[in-house]
Amino acid sequence: MRKVMGSRYVFVSLMLVLALMLGACTSNGGNGAAESASPGASAEPTASASAAPAEDDGLYSIEDFNKVKINEGTALKGGSVTYGLVSDTPFEGTLNFNFYSSNPDAMVLQWFDEGLLTWDANYVYTNDGAATYEVSEDGRTFTFTIRDNVNWQDGQPVTAEDWLFAHEIIGHKDYDGPRYDSNFTNIEGMQEYHDGKAKTISGIKVLGDKQLQITYIQSTPSLLTGGVWTYPLAKHIFGDMDVAKISSSKEVREKPIGFGPFKVKSIVPGESVVFEKNADYWRGEPALDEVMLKVINPTTVVQQLESGGVDLVDSFPVDQYPDNAGMSNVEFLGMIDRAYTYIGFKLGTWDKEAKVVKPNDKAKMGDVNLRKAMWQAVDNDAVGKKFYHGLRWNATTLIPPSHPEFHDSTNKGVTYDPEAAKKLLDDAGYKLNGEFRTNPDGSELVINFISMTGGDIAEPLARYYVQSWAAIGLNVNLEMVEFNSFYDRVGSNGDDDPAVDVYQAAWQVGIDVDPAGLYGKDAIYNFPRFETEENSRLLAEGVSEKAFDVSVRQGIYKEWQQYMVDQVPVFPTLYRSELVPVNKRIMNYAIGDGTGIYLHQLAVSQDKPFVAEK
Amino acid sequence: MWKTIVRRIFIMIPQLFLLSILVFLLAKAMPGDALTGLVDPSLDPAALEAQRERLGLNDPWHVQYWNWMIHALQGDFGQSFRFKMPVSELIGQRIFNTIWLSVATLILTYLIAIPLGITSGRYNDTWADRLITGYTYLGFAAPLFIFGLVMLWLFGFHFDWFPTGGSVKPGVEPGTAAYVFSKIYHLLLPALSMALITTVTTVQLLRSEIIDTKQRDFILTARAKGASESRVYNRHILRNSLLPIAAFFGYEITGLIGGTVFIESIFSYPGMGQLFLSSISLRDFSVVTALVLLYGLASILGALISDLILSIVDPRIRIK
Repeated sequence: MRKVMGSRYVFVSLMLVLALMLGACTSNGGNGAAESASPGASAEPTASASAAPAEDDGLYSIEDFNKVKINEGTALKGGSVTYGLVSDTPFEGTLNFNFYSSNPDAMVLQWFDEGLLTWDANYVYTNDGAATYEVSEDGRTFTFTIRDNVNWQDGQPVTAEDWLFAHEIIGHKDYDGPRYDSNFTNIEGMQEYHDGKAKTISGIKVLGDKQLQITYIQSTPSLLTGGVWTYPLAKHIFGDMDVAKISSSKEVREKPIGFGPFKVKSIVPGESVVFEKNADYWRGEPALDEVMLKVINPTTVVQQLESGGVDLVDSFPVDQYPDNAGMSNVEFLGMIDRAYTYIGFKLGTWDKEAKVVKPNDKAKMGDVNLRKAMWQAVDNDAVGKKFYHGLRWNATTLIPPSHPEFHDSTNKGVTYDPEAAKKLLDDAGYKLNGEFRTNPDGSELVINFISMTGGDIAEPLARYYVQSWAAIGLNVNLEMVEFNSFYDRVGSNGDDDPAVDVYQAAWQVGIDVDPAGLYGKDAIYNFPRFETEENSRLLAEGVSEKAFDVSVRQGIYKEWQQYMVDQVPVFPTLYRSELVPVNKRIMNYAIGDGTGIYLHQLAVSQDKPFVAEK
Repeated sequence: MWKTIVRRIFIMIPQLFLLSILVFLLAKAMPGDALTGLVDPSLDPAALEAQRERLGLNDPWHVQYWNWMIHALQGDFGQSFRFKMPVSELIGQRIFNTIWLSVATLILTYLIAIPLGITSGRYNDTWADRLITGYTYLGFAAPLFIFGLVMLWLFGFHFDWFPTGGSVKPGVEPGTAAYVFSKIYHLLLPALSMALITTVTTVQLLRSEIIDTKQRDFILTARAKGASESRVYNRHILRNSLLPIAAFFGYEITGLIGGTVFIESIFSYPGMGQLFLSSISLRDFSVVTALVLLYGLASILGALISDLILSIVDPRIRIK
C-alpha cells in the first residue's frame, strides 16, 4: 500500500538527512527516551513473544516478518484511526503529486489521491487501477481508459484532459517541481513543447472524455514499470492559474483535492491533517469514517505506539526495534527495502563537455585485484549482525532482493576471506613493506576513503572498514564528510575530487530494475566512472525490445550482476529492511506493493486502540 | 529619549546591511545548494542546470546579492525552494507559534524566578535557599533536550495530562474558543519544560543581587530609619535587585525568538528554530538568509529594548 512514487531513484541519504537533521542530539535523546520510557516493555519481553519472532541470539531476520497485517476480530462499521508521520521536521505541505518533492508529503498524499494505474508485486502496471491501458504492437503507443466512476472529490469527473494537463504543466518551462525527467523527455514532442517551439505535445492525444493516447519515442520494458506519469491534475481548478504559482496556491496547500479514498477536511500546516471518507470513491465506500494524520518525532514514536496515540506509522526507526520487539499492542510488518549500501571505487572522471564517463586507466584503484581484495577483506555479515541486529544483512549483487524477479539469489558475490585477499594482493604485486603494502611499482600506496556523517553508527562503521583493510595491509585514510560536501566531492556536479579514491554511499533504487541511471556510460551518477563495452552492451540489452520477454530480461540482468561482481567498480555491502508497527485493532492493512489491499478497506476491530501492557 | 530611539534605529540600517552581506557570503560558502540533494538518475543534469540558471544560482555572489536585496527592500524574500512558497509567508506561518511559545515561556520563567529568587536571597543559607540553589544547579546541569523528553514522557505519556505533539488539536476550527484553548493547552508543557530550565539563570542572578544589595549602606540607612522589614525588602532591595534582570529582558526575548530547536523538535511543535536548522542542511538559502536577518533585527531591537527598560527603571541612567 505504501508506495514512494515519482522518482525512480532517490537518494537514501536524502531521506536520512531529514531524519538525522539534529544529528547527535536527537539520537541521544532517542536513546534517552527509549530507556526511560519503556522499562516495562523491556522487562517483560516474553509477554508477547508471538508479536515478533526474536531469536535467542538477539538477531532478527526480515524473513520472519509479514507484509500483510493479520486480521484479528471482526471489523466495525466506521471508526477512526490515527496515522503517525514520523519525522522531526514538519511536512512541507506541497500536497499534489505533480508538485511534491519530499517523502513526508507523499505520505499525506496517499490518503486522498492516487495514481491512475496500479502495479503488481513486480512493479508492472496492472489493469486493476482507476484506468486501464493497452500497448500498441511496436510498444510505443499506450492507450489509457479512465473508469467512468472515477471522479474528483468535488464531483467533477477525472478526464483525459486532466491527464494531458498534468503533462503540459510538468513539461512547462516555468514548472518548479522535480518531475520533469527522462520519462517525460521520452514522450514524442515533449522536448519541443518544453523549449517553447510547439504549443502542444504532439505525442499525447485526447481520444475522448476518458481516453488518452501517449506515444513514446523509445519503447522499453521500463515503460511498464513506472515509466508512465499517472497523476492527473484537475484542469477545472488549475487551468487558469499561472504555472509558477500553482505549487504555492491554496488549492495545493490548504484545500488540496484528489480522487482517493479520503478527502482532506482540515490541515494545520506542517503538523496535522484530518481526512474524512470519500463516499464516492471509485473502488467503493471506505470502511473508516475518519483518518487523523499527525507528525510525530522519531524520539517519541515508541511511546506514541504504546499508548495508542497512533495506530499506524509511515516508518519506524529500525535501530529502535530490538528494544521494542516485544511491544504487546502492535504487530510489526516488515519488508525488504528497495535500497542498498555500497562502497565505490573512483576509476575515472566525468567529461563535462561530452557528458560521458571518462575512465582513467591509471587510476589508483584501477587494478581489479586490489578492488576485489578490498571486498574480500570486509565481513558484511558481521556488520549486519553487530551494527544492525540482523535487520541489515550482507549484500551480494547490485540488484537488491526487493526485486525478486531480477535479483540473482544464486550469485553469492564475493565472500569474506581475508587470507584469500592477502594472497590476491601478493600475487598482483602489492608487496608488504613494513606494516603496509606498496604499489606494484614500489611506490607508496595510500588510499583515501570518504564516508558520510550522520547518526551514531556512521563513523564506527567506516572505521570498521578501515581496520579491515589495514588487516590485509592496505593503508586507508578515512575522512567523514557532511552530506552536501560528500556528493559534491564524489561528483554529483561532475567535478570529481581527485583526492577521493573510495567512498561509501547508498542508493534507493526505483521500481524499475534498469540500473543504467547509476552505471550507464552517460549517467553523471555513475560515480565510480566505470565504463566498458560489455557493461554498455548489457545495460542496453536490458531495455531493448527483446527484453520485453521477462525471462530474457532476467538472463541479461543475471549476467550483468555477475559482470559487476567480477569487475568490482563498486561492491554492495548491506541490504536493508523496513519495519512498520501496526496497532492490533487495525484490519486490512499491508505494506509494499502488489498486495491487493487498498486503503479504502482499512478498518478497525474496536473503537479504541490497544494499549501496551506494562 | 525619542531622539535616542530614532538615532538607534538609524544606526540599525548599516548594521543590518553589513549583516546581510556577511550572511549572504557565508551561505554561499557552504558546499552545495538546494539542488545538490536532488541526486536522482532519472533527472537530466541539464534540467538541473537549467533550474540553477533560472534560480540565478550560477551568477556571481554580488549579482545574486543585489537581486536579493532589491527584492528584500520591497519585502519579498524570495521563494523557499523546499516548501515552494514565499519565504515571508512561510515565516509568517511559523513565527506566531514561536512567539506564543516564547511569551508563555517568558511568563512562566518570571513566575518561577521571582518568588524563588526573592526567597533564596532573603533567607540565604537557610534550608529553603539550599533547596532552591540545589534546583538551580540541577537546572544548569540538565541538558534541555533530555529534560524535555523526561517531561514529555512523564506528563504527556505517563500521566496523560498534556498533548504530546503539535501546536493545536487536529480538526479544530480556527477562530473558535476551543481553538484558542487547544493552542494554550498544547503550549503549556513545552513552555514549562523550557521555563524550568531557562529560569535558573534568572533565579541565581536575582539571589546574588539581593544578597549583594542587602549589605549596602542605603539599606542600613533604611533600617536605621525604622522601615519595616517588608518595606525594606519590597521598596528598597527588590527594586534595586531587579535592575540587571530588567536589563536582561530584551536579550531574553531575542534568545526565545531564535526558537528552541530542541523543544520544538521533541514536541513536534512547528516553529522557527526547526525551520532554521532544516533549511541550513537542505541549503534552502532564501529561508536561511531571511531568518538570520530576522534574528539580527531581533537582537538589535532586543538590545534597544533592554536599554530603554533600564533607563526607565534606573533613574541614574539617562540615554543621550
